[in-house]
Amino acid sequence: MQVAGRKVAVVGMGGAFPACKDLNEFDQKLFTNQSLVRQWDLAVQYEKQIRSTVSGYITEAEMGLEAVWAPITEKYPETYIDTLGRIPDANLSTADMGSIWAMLGAQEATTMAGWTKAEIESEQTGVVVGSGGAGNQILRVAWHYFFQMGKKARIAGAHTVDRSMSYREAANISCLLKTKGVCESITSACATGLGNIGHAYRLIKFGLQDRAIAGGVEGTALETFIGFDGMMILSKGFSPAESSRPFDIHRNGFVCSFGAGIVALEEYEMAKARGANIIGVINEYFNNSDGDGDMFYPSFAGQQRLWKGLLPDKGLRPDVVKMHGTSTPVGDSVELLSVVDALGDEGYHMSAPKSQFGHMLGGAGSVELITALLMLKNQQVLPCLNSETLNPELEGFQKNENWTGPDKPLAAYRHLVPQKAFAKEINRIACLNYGFGGTNSAMLVSRDI
Amino acid sequence: MERQEILDGLIEVLKTIRTIDPERLVGVTEETDFLTDLSTPSTELINIAAKVEHKFDIEFDDDDIDHMGSKVKDIIDLIIMVKARGENE
Repeated sequence: MQVAGRKVAVVGMGGAFPACKDLNEFDQKLFTNQSLVRQWDLAVQYEKQIRSTVSGYITEAEMGLEAVWAPITEKYPETYIDTLGRIPDANLSTADMGSIWAMLGAQEATTMAGWTKAEIESEQTGVVVGSGGAGNQILRVAWHYFFQMGKKARIAGAHTVDRSMSYREAANISCLLKTKGVCESITSACATGLGNIGHAYRLIKFGLQDRAIAGGVEGTALETFIGFDGMMILSKGFSPAESSRPFDIHRNGFVCSFGAGIVALEEYEMAKARGANIIGVINEYFNNSDGDGDMFYPSFAGQQRLWKGLLPDKGLRPDVVKMHGTSTPVGDSVELLSVVDALGDEGYHMSAPKSQFGHMLGGAGSVELITALLMLKNQQVLPCLNSETLNPELEGFQKNENWTGPDKPLAAYRHLVPQKAFAKEINRIACLNYGFGGTNSAMLVSRDI
Repeated sequence: MERQEILDGLIEVLKTIRTIDPERLVGVTEETDFLTDLSTPSTELINIAAKVEHKFDIEFDDDDIDHMGSKVKDIIDLIIMVKARGENE
């Protein structure tokens, strides 16, 4: 149960961001309306085997890392070298790419938080970080050599488990920083990033931990990309910068991207007492399921219940809604209309950061929460890039006799969907993320005022 | 194959194990213990064994690795034994 009077502050953040060397560059590029989506050479080389070739990917060199290629197994990064000397070799040896990003993000977030060594290594500091996929890049090689090549299991080395297990990012962070509190992962597909931060928020809110390192990750892996490519749900036919186009009438799929977002959370009064910089205050977290038996199709009713849970007190209204906005045909329209259903058609704006960097899967919710925190800091709304034309006609599902939502087409809400970043007073932002299986998550975060 | 030649090859393998401090590889002898002298994480012994198989073109039985000691001489003995076993088959 929640402990009365206990609040949760965000006091640090970090991570890995496409085409950016650090958080500052990410901040600068986002608020100057830039796209971080690029043509992906690795995908292009598979020619007709692959349908989509654009991504918000991150190379090893961009993160200051070099792969050490295994002498026995081909194209297998046995471990990595940190060319900037941030992570010890022993920790690198147990980590896949995403776990290294998670460790780097945790270092940045805890440094920004200003936590002492004793605070980091305390029983009151937890780690709650997860990813959407398995360690696919690692597993592919281990399985290939065993099943196809008939080799001994040990041919892929002794680190297949620690580099691919579900909670590898949390485990690697905890081993690096020597935290002694809770260490676990929440996985909920594309809601993973926000889900982990939401769970960490509850641990503090409920009095179980005083501090938490929380977030979500999706390490660059073509193995992950091709799963979605095979579903034919990735954007196709646009230039890289125009490929992610949430709410635009010509959208035809999402851009599969990669990244990591890690935040440092702390019980509010403790953070205040030590003079910490409060980046944001988490007002509420709520999550639920559609409950309609559909693995993929979004549920308007599920999202209506999500809003009801997030804003039980109608007094707390967001100035901005950070949308999930993937650029998929049905998902975007259901989401936009559910937001209008909950908040009406004025007094707030919708921001879709995926329009700038694509969909980071397990990293999406946490990196996008960081974009919301940057919006609070900069007092600017991030855009829905490429949302050039909203549908002037009703969506098909709006014509269904059982439809109870808004009865105007998306174009009627054009004024809520900015195409460029712009300044306005922002005190509170609602963040939304959904995932396969009908899981929905929402967080309300505000300025420290 | 002489023991010194095997030791030299083994040191080449150890240089590729990044969790072993390269400075500790100076002066490695047959009496050097992987766990106590080189502070090798026990999980890395499997990686060393797999790389040794590749380097010396041999294949250990699982029992060979299960019963292998943690000193350099133990793995050299094993390499010689497995090579001889291969030549006798």
